[in-house]
Amino acid sequence: MKENMLAMNKKNFLGSVCAAFALAAVVSSCGDGKTRSTGWEFSRNMYDPIAFNPDQPNENFKNKITAQLPPAGTNPIGFERFEFANSLEEYERAGRELTSPLAVTQENLAKGDALFHTYCAVCHGPEGKGDGPITKERSVTDSRGTRALETFPPPPSYQKSDAASSSRGGAMSELSDGKIYHTIYYGHNSMGSHASQLSPEERWQVVMYVHELQKK
Amino acid sequence: MRNISSLLGKLAKTMSVGMMLLFAVTMSNAQDVKEGQTLFKSKCTTCHSVTKKVVGPALAGMTERHDEEWLVKWIKNSQAMIAAGDPTAVQLFEENNNLVMTAFTDLSDDQIKNIIAYVKDEEAKAAEAPAGGGAEAGAAQSDDANTFMIIGLIAIVVLAVVVIVVLNRVIRTLEKVIANNQAAIEAAQARNETVAENRFAKFAQAFVKNKKLVGFSVLMLVAFLAVAGWNTLWNVGVHQGYEPVQPIKFSHQIHAGVNQIECQYCHGGAFKSKNASIPSANVCMNCHNTVTASEHYDGELSPEIAKIYRAVDYNPDTRAYGNNPKPIQWVRIHNLPDFAYFNHSQHVTVAGVECQTCHGPVETMEEVYQYSPLTMKWCIDCHRTTEVNTDNAYYDQLIEAHEKLKKGEKMTAAMIGGLECGKCHY
Repeated sequence: MKENMLAMNKKNFLGSVCAAFALAAVVSSCGDGKTRSTGWEFSRNMYDPIAFNPDQPNENFKNKITAQLPPAGTNPIGFERFEFANSLEEYERAGRELTSPLAVTQENLAKGDALFHTYCAVCHGPEGKGDGPITKERSVTDSRGTRALETFPPPPSYQKSDAASSSRGGAMSELSDGKIYHTIYYGHNSMGSHASQLSPEERWQVVMYVHELQKK
Repeated sequence: MRNISSLLGKLAKTMSVGMMLLFAVTMSNAQDVKEGQTLFKSKCTTCHSVTKKVVGPALAGMTERHDEEWLVKWIKNSQAMIAAGDPTAVQLFEENNNLVMTAFTDLSDDQIKNIIAYVKDEEAKAAEAPAGGGAEAGAAQSDDANTFMIIGLIAIVVLAVVVIVVLNRVIRTLEKVIANNQAAIEAAQARNETVAENRFAKFAQAFVKNKKLVGFSVLMLVAFLAVAGWNTLWNVGVHQGYEPVQPIKFSHQIHAGVNQIECQYCHGGAFKSKNASIPSANVCMNCHNTVTASEHYDGELSPEIAKIYRAVDYNPDTRAYGNNPKPIQWVRIHNLPDFAYFNHSQHVTVAGVECQTCHGPVETMEEVYQYSPLTMKWCIDCHRTTEVNTDNAYYDQLIEAHEKLKKGEKMTAAMIGGLECGKCHY
């Protein structure tokens, strides 16, 4: 009789322990998991680098920036300066004097294609027709409701079949190596400079791919 | 009757003739404007807008500033006019920072006139919209304001009267109560307090007597603390779900999602370096020299985009940069401990891992949060299942080195990359 009761109590006890844990687990897993705080941390100094991160503020410099500009007039090793200024005359001169140092190969074209899609197609469109996604009517729905987004002025098409003319004279489909390179480097009209995003070699690969689009 | 019907007939005739005439007129106008619109969209919008300055000046009012013949000549070949020394042309060229306008020699005079007609039409629409809308809204507002004020005044008067009456009555009853039975009130208060005390004590006694209930409550508390403690301990130093407030309300949903800008347009470092890199503000300016979102802020610059302009010291009116830039201090979300080495280019360029695999659906995030835990277990789980693509120069060299070893040739550390700076100084 006594043993029986003990067994019963054990069962009850186990049952309520399980129930308690389940309830506690459910309650403590509420929320969508997003938080404004980093939560508890142990020995934070093991997470922070000893050297400065480039994005970090820095009291050691006058302008308090870690990523300092190189001193004026210095060149990194292996770096070739672009010797053309940002003017119409220099643009024309680049068009006459500058040609691509790269050989037209499948590999270079494939890289140019990939780079064009990352850095150019947003405005110029995947085929260079000047119909990239941000030149089109579009709208967003977020916490502020649904609203239309501003369209970016569409650039002229590269393609021969569209026969668009460049604002600096001549047809878009006949822009030479140097002219395209100069435009990537300095930007023009609504287009900004893409020199910080593309290395010289990458710029020439893009130029090579643009020539392919011009033929269409 | 006949008179009336003939009169009606005449009226119908004149009306239909009038309608046809009107239709013809609007048709001819619509034709011009419509062709002008297609031409404008394909040839002009790269640099011009009707209502605001883009690269070239705003076109509204251009027919008042110049006569049509002159405009046709200018649009066909502005550089020829400047070369010929047309004073207005030279002045206009200089006013706009000597920016060359595309020559449109392929357009006929009629086509250009259609474009001018379209611009005039848009100009009229733009002038109408804010003025008309404003007047209507103003009228509606003032009407609303009148009724609102009258109703409000009446409501205040009624409320004041009611308050006065109620307060009077309250004062009178209070005076009565105080005068009649102050002692009774004190006694009643004392009794009330003891009753409350008794109730709480009774409840506590009942709770303590019920051993099962006490046991269950203690168990619940222990279980809850255990689960919470377990979770907390496992998540020490794990920032999954961390969503800090950033200095600029930059929405990845708009930029990467709706605008379909590829991740590497801004985070190009992910292709070539250890760090995926936060873009410097000149990358923002590639688009935001033009995009100001002003239509959502009554023609003013968006306050969030103004923060970029402040950071790069850009003046949107003169389109010129000053020399007092102030960097934007973004809050770092993904922070791998300094004792763990991680390289973006190894994963993105070599392995071809999609950004979303680790960072989650960033293109749908209005505010970015840390999607993955970035724990060692998480890294290892993926490394256990990922197959390596051996079709690259690294493995070619490795196999070559093994072949040499098999032949009995000697191999130095320098031959397998032992002289690379980064092997020691990373």
